Amino acid sequence: MQKFFSNRKLVIAIIILIISFGLMSVSVAIRDRKSTPPLVQQFGNDVAGAVDRVVALPVNGLQGATNSVSDLLNTYQENQKLKKQVDQLAQAKVNAQTATAENKQLRKELKLNKALTDYTAVTANVLTRTPSSWMNQLVISKGATAGVKKNMPVMSQSGLIGRVVEVNQTNSKVELISNTSSSADKFAIQITNSAGKTVNGIVTGFDKSDNLIEMGSVTSSVKIKKGDKVITSGLGGLTPKGLYVGTVAKVKQDDYGLASEVEIKPAADLTDLTVVTVAEQ
Amino acid sequence: MKSRLRIIFPIGLFLALFLDGSLSNVFAGSLFKYPYSSVLHLVLLWLIFAVFLDERDDLPVVAWSAFAGLVFDWFYTGVFGVYLIALPLVVYLCRQIKPWLDLNFLTLLMVYIINLTIVEAFVYIWYMISKIVTSNLADFAVYTLGPTIAVNLAIFVILYYPVRQLYLRVD
Repeated sequence: MQKFFSNRKLVIAIIILIISFGLMSVSVAIRDRKSTPPLVQQFGNDVAGAVDRVVALPVNGLQGATNSVSDLLNTYQENQKLKKQVDQLAQAKVNAQTATAENKQLRKELKLNKALTDYTAVTANVLTRTPSSWMNQLVISKGATAGVKKNMPVMSQSGLIGRVVEVNQTNSKVELISNTSSSADKFAIQITNSAGKTVNGIVTGFDKSDNLIEMGSVTSSVKIKKGDKVITSGLGGLTPKGLYVGTVAKVKQDDYGLASEVEIKPAADLTDLTVVTVAEQ
Repeated sequence: MKSRLRIIFPIGLFLALFLDGSLSNVFAGSLFKYPYSSVLHLVLLWLIFAVFLDERDDLPVVAWSAFAGLVFDWFYTGVFGVYLIALPLVVYLCRQIKPWLDLNFLTLLMVYIINLTIVEAFVYIWYMISKIVTSNLADFAVYTLGPTIAVNLAIFVILYYPVRQLYLRVD
């Protein structure tokens, strides 16, 4: 053991530590600031992404196969349930189409060209998930060439799941909404209650033990009930308005008793993601 | 015969690296069931097999582990210098203790548990310093380290004999 702590080894160990810290702080700074990582980093990510596609293909294929078997087993019950919904859906679709057309016309008359709700969608496959308990991140198969930009919101079929944090040419990293790290910037959301009144706020955290999104520091006197719908509010930049987030699970006083905190049940299942949609405004 | 292992080892290493991510995504429902999160460590497993099962010590495991760590940081997290240091550190420590160990299934299992703890703790401390992690030490031990060790030991038990056969045959 005397040999282990010899002078030379100690110096080497310290140099390695310094290099490690340096790399770490530089990369965290880049992550927080620039819109895209440096070209070298992008290139490395694209190469790794290409190799990953080859490895991920059979694994995802296997998942697809098992999913289809379980789907097949549930087909009959599902079909019964869906048949009932189809009739109502046709009605709702026609209603929505008329409303959209009318909305467009009215907007034209008001000379409002760009609305907060407008967005185009880029659909991407989920390549892989970061095998770490600290970073809830996904790598998706679309990048700058498909028009993805940093900080764009990402959705699964059922609702909001996170935002883009790093864009490369052919793939990009998505930070899930369940990430609680302090460096993650948060979504602006809006709760609409049954009377049609709205409460604005931002996502302030994620309650891991109950799998709920937290919206803190709410001082509004509007009554919010369990089950009220939550959407993105479109305030403050890249997120369009009207992306579905989830429903209110409970409302409680915060630790100081001054404001209330709303807990929201996310609509999307954050652990079962194969295809996601990036929304660009 | 030596050259065959020199090709098999890096291919297996990168297969393990990308499988870590793919399997984490496919089995996310059971691996990251809140509040527990178990992290797959196939890369670490492959490295430790290489250190202890390769009789002649002629594989450049430290260099490869540094490269795998770099790719991990690069592709998965975007924060450099964490796995880049953690993986070579573990390989170096294993090389140091190898002469003192009587090699069998159980001792290797113990070494693997210790190494898992070292890597997970190292990553936790590093992320804590750069403020990526905000959870406390007790949560880390109960919700991350425990499940991680459990899952990876199961994988170890399944893969030990096949991989040993592979090394014996190639040797």
